[in-house]
Amino acid sequence: MSAPTRAEQDAATEVIGYAWAINHALAEEMRRDDRVWMMGQDVGRMGGVFGVTRGLLDEFGSDRVRDTTINETFIVGGAAGAAMTGTIPVVELQFADFLLIAGDEIFHKLAKWRYVHGGNLTLPVVVRLPTGVLGGAGAEHSASLEAMAMHTPGLKVALPATPSDAKGLLKAAIRDPNPVLFFEHKGLYRTKGPVPVSDEHVVPFGQAAVRRTGDALTIVATGLMVGRSLEAAERLAADGIEAEVIDPRTLVPLDMDTIVASVERTARALVVHEAVRTAGAGAEIAAQIQERAFFSLDAPVWRLGAIDTPLPQDPELEQLCIPSAAEIEAAARELVRI
Amino acid sequence: MAEPALATDLYRLVALVRAVELRLQQHITEHGFGGFWHPGIGQEGVQVGAATALRPDDYLFYAHRGLGYAVAKGMELTAILGDLFGRVTGSTGGKGGGTAHFVDPSIGVLGQGGTLGSNFTLGAGAAISARMLGTDQVVAVFFGDGAAARGTFHEAALQASVWKLPVVWICENNGWALSAPITEQSPTENIADRAVAYGVPGVVVDGQDALAVHAATAEAIERARAGGGPTLIEAKTLRIRGHYEGDRQQYRTDLTDGVEIPRDPIDLLRRVVPADVADELDDRARAEVEEAFEATLAAPRADAGIVFEDVWA
Repeated sequence: MSAPTRAEQDAATEVIGYAWAINHALAEEMRRDDRVWMMGQDVGRMGGVFGVTRGLLDEFGSDRVRDTTINETFIVGGAAGAAMTGTIPVVELQFADFLLIAGDEIFHKLAKWRYVHGGNLTLPVVVRLPTGVLGGAGAEHSASLEAMAMHTPGLKVALPATPSDAKGLLKAAIRDPNPVLFFEHKGLYRTKGPVPVSDEHVVPFGQAAVRRTGDALTIVATGLMVGRSLEAAERLAADGIEAEVIDPRTLVPLDMDTIVASVERTARALVVHEAVRTAGAGAEIAAQIQERAFFSLDAPVWRLGAIDTPLPQDPELEQLCIPSAAEIEAAARELVRI
Repeated sequence: MAEPALATDLYRLVALVRAVELRLQQHITEHGFGGFWHPGIGQEGVQVGAATALRPDDYLFYAHRGLGYAVAKGMELTAILGDLFGRVTGSTGGKGGGTAHFVDPSIGVLGQGGTLGSNFTLGAGAAISARMLGTDQVVAVFFGDGAAARGTFHEAALQASVWKLPVVWICENNGWALSAPITEQSPTENIADRAVAYGVPGVVVDGQDALAVHAATAEAIERARAGGGPTLIEAKTLRIRGHYEGDRQQYRTDLTDGVEIPRDPIDLLRRVVPADVADELDDRARAEVEEAFEATLAAPRADAGIVFEDVWA
């Protein structure tokens, strides 16, 4: 038996979970570049509250995998200071909601310090943010806050929806000289899928993925809503309604070209996200669609998002607040009738 | 008795910074200013005394009051003034204005937090980086008695102490956090007393005495460089003028004329530096500042396109 060619190696995939794909990305990038290191609460000895960083302390040691005290301002501010002095920190906030605790460090230091210092400083920081509903985590551990980052010039924003993208986007984030907020969905950690084995599986930012093709309407969905939109699309297909499902993968940069090209063919657009509907990322996407594709549209651009409330702690009530596959399906059926 | 060479060196820088402060004061009085200037006049003893204890490759996160830190660390006056006046010659290429974010990574000048107290975590992070890269660089973080109240100090100080990071915190206690007197900000007389909570040395020093500040900082830096962890230095000083130039300070109960500087760091150094040497350094400082001012005011402002630059690397 001959050894596999480079092309065969690059094409090889393994079926692993989303959390494990992130773990692989971290390990591969830390092996590739000694300047890459991580810190956060419980990321070392415990391997992270969601188990994402298991085994990394053993392989890389306590200098490069640092357990911190409960100190979000330090985790992000320390990362900023370490980044501008020649290292590449990949830090974890235990829940994405905690980015508000480190608000100054994220929205001022990471986003602005290169700019205010005339380009003399570079801040290659990745902030890993376990986001979204998990089932009963409560209002302060479940929110989807990506629009806040999208609203702040200077921050890149990724929301992987598949294990393959979780690995590839994180590797791109670590190699990016800019600060990246990496929203990993807690509800997707256990989902499995094929992930390229290659160390060079890097998914570039700003390239949307067309998850499903169709001609009846375009559904633009992020994170957990990608799977729910695909589920809705299958039910619609049973009645001959073929929905195109687009996953932007990164919100900054945002691949509007792919979205606009799709809407120009389908003439209808539904934007779906888990974050509250008001002033969510969907509002921006919808606005850009109508600016760029107004004369192709046969119907208004619709948005589906969480209702405008904090998320209740009860897992069943929590699910009532965010779009379900059935609601996406119903909205799509109504939209194609307009 | 301090070394004469060190005293002369400190005098040269204190005199230079004083000359810039006075020239800026004059300029703002005569012509106004695009932005806010937070004068550091009278606090030059702390800024120069401490910053001169750093090596060129050590890191500096400075505070907002004055520019003595950066001058003492080795930045050119024109690079700083260019930022203050929004000129292309500034270290940020013309983005500055008023309170400026001057910067020079080649000599470790890394900036200041626009939000007070944000230097603490950044400084600790730079210290992690130095350790990870195997250097023996030390980080100096300057802040005022006001910023000492921030929770970021606690988060950074606790972690830096646990990890024995090479950081020196230098508190310029000038008695006023904008309008709040220190008696309303601290239950203890000394901010340095808080060091106990972090198991690090807390040192109180006369901030008007540049040589004393230099000695205390040098000792802390040596400890940090050798792996002994952080030190909290509190330098007692005075705020001679307003929070910003033009502040009428109606809240102040200890208002002075804004000209006289009690225990002036210049006078204290003149006890050690021969008068003829000091006089000559004064003349040189004024000439150097005049030259830098002329060059700065003659330099062009940046093109409008600069607003789009440097959002992304």
